[in-house]
Amino acid sequence: MKVRYLLGAVAALALTTAAARAEYPERELQGVIMWGAGGATDTVARAVTPHVEEALGKKIVLVNKAGGAGAISTAFVNAAPADGYTLLYGAENPQVHGVLALSELDYSAFYPVNVLARGIAVIVAGKDAPWNSVKELVEDAQKRPGKIKMGSTGPGGLPHVVGALLNSVEAYKVTAVPFDGEGPGLTALQGGHVDFMPVGLSAAGEHIKAGRVKVLGVVNDKEVPSLPGVAPITKDFPGFSKYLPWGPFYGIWVKKDVPDAAKKTLVDAFRKGAENPQFTQLMVERGNVMMNISGAEADAFLKKWQAVTTWVLHDAGATKQSPEKFGIARP
Amino acid sequence: MTDALSYFAMGWLDPWLLMLTAAGTFAGIYIGAIPGLSVTMAVSVLISFTFTWPVNDALALMAGIYMGGVYGGSRTAILLNIPGAPSAIATALDGYPLAKRGEAGIAIGISTVVSVIGGFVGILALAVAAPAISDFALMFAPRDYLLLAIMGILLVGSLSGESLAKGVFSGALGVLIGMVGLDPMTAEQRFTFGSVNLLGGIPYVAAMIGFFGVSEALVQLHTLHMPAIKQQVSRIVPSWKLVKRFLPLSLRSSALGVIIGALPGTGGDIAALMAYDQARRTVKNPTRPFGEGAYEGLVAPESANNAAVGGAYIPMLTLGIPGDAVTAVIIGALFIHGLKPGPMLMIETPHLFWYTVGNLTLANIFLLIFGLTGIRFFTRIVECPKGILLPLILVLSAVGTYAIQNNPVDIYWMLGFGLFGYFLKMYGFEVGPVILGIILGPLMDVSYRRAVISVEDSFPAFLWDLVSNPLTAALTLALAALLLAQTPVASLWKRRR
Repeated sequence: MKVRYLLGAVAALALTTAAARAEYPERELQGVIMWGAGGATDTVARAVTPHVEEALGKKIVLVNKAGGAGAISTAFVNAAPADGYTLLYGAENPQVHGVLALSELDYSAFYPVNVLARGIAVIVAGKDAPWNSVKELVEDAQKRPGKIKMGSTGPGGLPHVVGALLNSVEAYKVTAVPFDGEGPGLTALQGGHVDFMPVGLSAAGEHIKAGRVKVLGVVNDKEVPSLPGVAPITKDFPGFSKYLPWGPFYGIWVKKDVPDAAKKTLVDAFRKGAENPQFTQLMVERGNVMMNISGAEADAFLKKWQAVTTWVLHDAGATKQSPEKFGIARP
Repeated sequence: MTDALSYFAMGWLDPWLLMLTAAGTFAGIYIGAIPGLSVTMAVSVLISFTFTWPVNDALALMAGIYMGGVYGGSRTAILLNIPGAPSAIATALDGYPLAKRGEAGIAIGISTVVSVIGGFVGILALAVAAPAISDFALMFAPRDYLLLAIMGILLVGSLSGESLAKGVFSGALGVLIGMVGLDPMTAEQRFTFGSVNLLGGIPYVAAMIGFFGVSEALVQLHTLHMPAIKQQVSRIVPSWKLVKRFLPLSLRSSALGVIIGALPGTGGDIAALMAYDQARRTVKNPTRPFGEGAYEGLVAPESANNAAVGGAYIPMLTLGIPGDAVTAVIIGALFIHGLKPGPMLMIETPHLFWYTVGNLTLANIFLLIFGLTGIRFFTRIVECPKGILLPLILVLSAVGTYAIQNNPVDIYWMLGFGLFGYFLKMYGFEVGPVILGIILGPLMDVSYRRAVISVEDSFPAFLWDLVSNPLTAALTLALAALLLAQTPVASLWKRRR
């Protein structure tokens, strides 16, 4: 009886060692999405994954672990074994967690498998708003400080950062009313409960097209194809150009110490998946700019983004800790 | 018009689509019945699963799952006191006492019939008044959500059981539990004690399963030796007379459900709770006192939560704004399938609207069929000896809790709340208000702060807002009437007349 158990154990051991030598990935992967079902990050994750699975030859099981503005998913993936079987599907948020004192963990602890795309921000107002450009809005806000209501999504969110960026170029004062996300904020804008809102083009695009909100400017250094005739913000505020390109972004990360072979397999699979025309079309139609970068190139992008954003937030007095504490150099 | 009709019938005439809707509804009922497995989750998983399918197939399946799932939550709420979904919390309040009386069969029968009635009211509202209702829903400002939440929290008064003070304590406890995590406005940490695991707050479905299911199972241990209650299964489908009697209440609750469902900040759970409250206040002679197995206590929430389905589709199809969590996921699915949900959806893809209306109608019919079959088998579950049933409840609770987000920590929460809920019950504290506090506390918190921030932190301006806008003034009046009706002044006034 004992011998049989022993034999079984030996056989099991042999099997596992054989498996360890087998080609990665030999089983299903888990993908952890840092925002809830139905949000922008979730949509991007679920749109790219089927194409990646095809290239990878294995399933990626997606779970949403929302909470703590992404800090919970980030911590979860960081605590998982560094074997390349747990992927983090995320957005820009962890890059500001340090200065906002939410979590010490940012993307420097991870390897960027792919930064898929970045979004472009626009500034929209209610359809009956008196302003026709960001300049008119800012001038009005300077005349009646605090009277104009800006839809926001809380500290570190896109409206907050774009507001702070603009404020550092030209000082003005508005009242920021935080909502649960860009969608709820846009809903309040259409109900007339706030007056304007900086928001991702992907969230606002259809509302702009239908004329339910009025677009005042694009946070970019040139016009974007999906919004012909809408002035880039640098036209009236040339000082803004030093922050650009700025916008939310979406990507996939694994822990830094995942074996190189696994990293390479993942990078190849995601690059291929992100090249899929169906996915590319979806991303561009939602007002995003495809990036499809990985490794060192992606790291450089992430570093610049973090430096620009954290220092602007810091100068606006919106941080709890100085970016210096995290070794982030002033851009 | 003929176009609309042909789009409407698309899902009816194609046998494959018909089959998908039926399968979706059937699966939805069981997914909804298992606590922890939510419709939101099922629909998100379906997105990856149906990625390569034509969009119509995926939509038919999702409509079925949504309709079935909202209804399915009532099954376990009635039989085991574990609401299968948050929208079935109010159902447990009178449904479970009915099962304890041996009337589980008729309870399920009634909830099926009124769910279908509610579903049709929701669909009808969607079909004929979608643009008007979505414009109405947009008018709700943060202060209006605050007033709605306060009206909801007043329900603590009727859920308190033996002592109002104890009920208020339970409600406040729920509010406290709901506050844990990141402050939604400032991202400040509240009651997290530096733990990353608490940043996301305490999962409220885990609290719900613990407070309702596990604590009830523990209480039942006191009567382990008592034989299980024999369930009467002779009459399951409610008689026409009974349906006719409840029809006015059902329609009233459904109308409430449509509006609450269409509001982008609230869903079926709040709709059901408010409908239950409304029933308690307006029904003069319930079949039995509320909380002890009144049929009215089943009719109101079950009509409202299924009506909220049609309601939630209203802003989604007309404006691309989700009415609740499930429609938010469906919007994501539409994007992935290359459609552009938004205000242009009805113009660019007009078939989609009537196709969805057709699917929901079909799903509602299947709901009636599947809902009324198999009840006898289900009621047998509660006839199991307690020595078998109670461990099963615990296992189901643990599995369901783990399924929320595959996190074992949630199971500890659930067990902790179960034990805590047991002691609460032993000392005469009701657990209903706790859940009410968890759901409505955060809504009150953010709505109040948004409302005050909007007027530059000026309290007088906030008070002026409460009466200066017609919609808000109407809600304020309703709230004042609710409050005054409970005071001695009201009874005095009534007597004098």
